[in-house]
Amino acid sequence: MVDLLDKLSPALTSAETLPAPLPRLKQRDRQAIVDRVVQLSPGLPSADRLISDVQGGRAQADKKLAVLDPSKYGSTRNHLNGAVTRLSPYIRHGVITTTAVRDRALEIAAPKAAEKFIQQLTWREYWQRLYREFPDYIWNDVEPYKTGFTASDYADDLPRDIIGGTTGVACIDHFIAELNETGYLHNHARLYLAGYVCHWRRVKWQAGARWFLAHLLDGDPASNNLSWQWAASTFSHKPYYFNLENVAKFSGDDVDTRESSNATLAGSYEALHERLFPNLEPPNSEKTL
Amino acid sequence: MTLVWIHEDAISLDHPAVAAAGEAAQPIFIWDTAEHDRRGYTLKRRAFIYECAHDLNIPIYVGDSYELLRALSGGERIYAAASPDPYISGILADLGGDHDLEIIASPCLADVPANTDTGRFFRFWNRARKSALTRSEDVLDKDCLAS
Repeated sequence: MVDLLDKLSPALTSAETLPAPLPRLKQRDRQAIVDRVVQLSPGLPSADRLISDVQGGRAQADKKLAVLDPSKYGSTRNHLNGAVTRLSPYIRHGVITTTAVRDRALEIAAPKAAEKFIQQLTWREYWQRLYREFPDYIWNDVEPYKTGFTASDYADDLPRDIIGGTTGVACIDHFIAELNETGYLHNHARLYLAGYVCHWRRVKWQAGARWFLAHLLDGDPASNNLSWQWAASTFSHKPYYFNLENVAKFSGDDVDTRESSNATLAGSYEALHERLFPNLEPPNSEKTL
Repeated sequence: MTLVWIHEDAISLDHPAVAAAGEAAQPIFIWDTAEHDRRGYTLKRRAFIYECAHDLNIPIYVGDSYELLRALSGGERIYAAASPDPYISGILADLGGDHDLEIIASPCLADVPANTDTGRFFRFWNRARKSALTRSEDVLDKDCLAS
């Protein structure tokens, strides 16, 4: 395999010998593309052979844009089976721009009806602005943790059971499997995983951010890492956490939210706060997503 | 040959960098395996990126982006979309030392003044809201702060 890579990437030994591009694959054959990417990636673990159903390219983005429903998005977006667009991988890689998506939303909906959707697009603009102005934010704590713990109280690496989706917490394992298999997660599921990793398992947000960037097709250092910092509380006023009732409210029937399968997530917000953040005063009121 | 570097933050021929380069320029994509390894991309991420690049029907080269851009441009101008990504911006900065380089901003969603408090999103949103809710064709001043 290394030999093939060498053959596909001619050495630049002299000015007279210009490198050649890869031979063009004759048609848009997904398996041929996957085979080529495997050939070009000799460092990938042999166990890493999962491919997402989400396909790249502008035509695929346009298909998703054609069924955009900004009004429905606004009313259902927090539900894991809500009318989300799944345009984010295409936006991440510039296949389609946020301005093109915004313009389409305003073609088919009044500004007020499209506002929640466009506000979410603006989050990306915000993260990118921070990335340009404060590149150090991407991998460093913007602020201290507001959890009653310091950064040194958090583990540096993800435990194996999280990477493998064998935590024993049914809904968490469901979301991890989805991440591994599809390269996509609904934003609410991302928050659940981030809250679980940082606050139930007390792992540094950087470890979780690296994990997501490896898998998410829309993984963007700014949007991803700063969202992790938001959940961890190093870029927000308080930590993001949730309870099983919240997961059940926003999940479909395919997610196991029985208490017997998710015991560690069960309980009131007050009880969970006391358990997860024992060094903090009890909250007066909790705003949840 | 005048080149347009289509990098992974702007895999599109609709980007203003392509138009700025003109029809005679050659857009190229560079597959840098070492960078993908450094980023820890799984196969599904790599395949998605390759599909996006393949879809453009442009030459795809394999190797070190900086070295390839230097070699293929033959000293001619290189165009590229701006990016805050350290890998991409670092290569562009290195090329800028001895190359004619045009870095073209991406269109921005909202016109937000440079002095806006970015400490929390909703302060940003309050400044962005009006222009974000306006279609591109209705915006009179198309200059914005994206870089």
